[in-house]
Amino acid sequence: MAEFVGAFAASHAPLIARDWDKFAPESREIITTDFHELGRRIAAARPDVLIELSADHWTNFFLDNLPNICIGIGASHDGPPEPFMNNFPRSIAGDTAFAQHIAKVALDDEFEPSISHHLALDHGFCIPLMKMELPKLPRIVPIVVNNLEPPMPSIRRCFAWGKLLAKAIASYPENIRVAILASGGLSHSIGEPTMGAIDEAFDRDCIAAFKAGAEGPLTKLLDERMEAAGNGTHEVRNWVIAHAAAGSRGFDLIDYRAMPEVYVGCGWASWNA
Amino acid sequence: MATDYWFSKLCYDLQRPGAGAEYRADREKVLARYPLSPEVLAAIRADDVAALQPLVNAYLLRFYFGAAGMSDDTFMAKLHAMQKLPAAKEQAHG
Repeated sequence: MAEFVGAFAASHAPLIARDWDKFAPESREIITTDFHELGRRIAAARPDVLIELSADHWTNFFLDNLPNICIGIGASHDGPPEPFMNNFPRSIAGDTAFAQHIAKVALDDEFEPSISHHLALDHGFCIPLMKMELPKLPRIVPIVVNNLEPPMPSIRRCFAWGKLLAKAIASYPENIRVAILASGGLSHSIGEPTMGAIDEAFDRDCIAAFKAGAEGPLTKLLDERMEAAGNGTHEVRNWVIAHAAAGSRGFDLIDYRAMPEVYVGCGWASWNA
Repeated sequence: MATDYWFSKLCYDLQRPGAGAEYRADREKVLARYPLSPEVLAAIRADDVAALQPLVNAYLLRFYFGAAGMSDDTFMAKLHAMQKLPAAKEQAHG
């Protein structure tokens, strides 16, 4: 049977790649150290497959057809299309059988995800994969979560998705090790009148709520304050899914830094499986 | 304010390789491919961030002005100026 070996989370600001050479050395050091620690923890968990949760930044989907949840079932995925991500691999291995299993478990449980046989993984998926510098990239099962365009999945539904992923891992008959990586958040505002604002108070309260673990207070906090913390903050949904998959306990913050250089309240964390 | 589909489509299409360069070289040629309203066309021609911001997803707006050649600093200054407008409070996190 498959084994759930850990849940992880990291921010994914595109400027981490685009403007890397413009950052102060201290900022580069913080980002490098924190991604490396995240990578060390993931490597120690020895996952064969990494379920990765991210927004799609208008790469695969447009207003014509905009899924709230889409599972990438391809045997491989295209690398990031952004020119500033050109040094990342152009093809990323997937796991069709396991991804199809997740989709089947979801449909059997009355969830209705979309599936895609061919996704391109933009900076949302690939910044953490690039900066962690893992010795070997696990197979990636990407799950696109709509964090970008209303209406988006409720926080309550994100908790349900996390529990469903745990169930899908536990019921997969193959002997593989599976981890989850939530990409995105914490607070940031992009293309809005508040662009560049970081709501550090929200981020600190959010981290405290993940540490406390309980579903109710975390849901209440996000329902009441996530919207006002900036449009990019909606990516915290991905952290909620990882949190629920880990049983809503065991959150361990690696680091949090409000980083104006990248316009994002950056967080790195893991959950003990 | 409602999403403007065709302006959104323009923003989305400008992500294609080479599309940004084509747009910067001959904006009118590209705009002619889209059934944009006179009001939206005027706002595009004026690089009117405040007028276009409520019409499109904020990420696409950012991408659009980058592809159109506006620096991040100028784009952000124009966005921040919106906070001083009477309607800014409603739009702050639209």
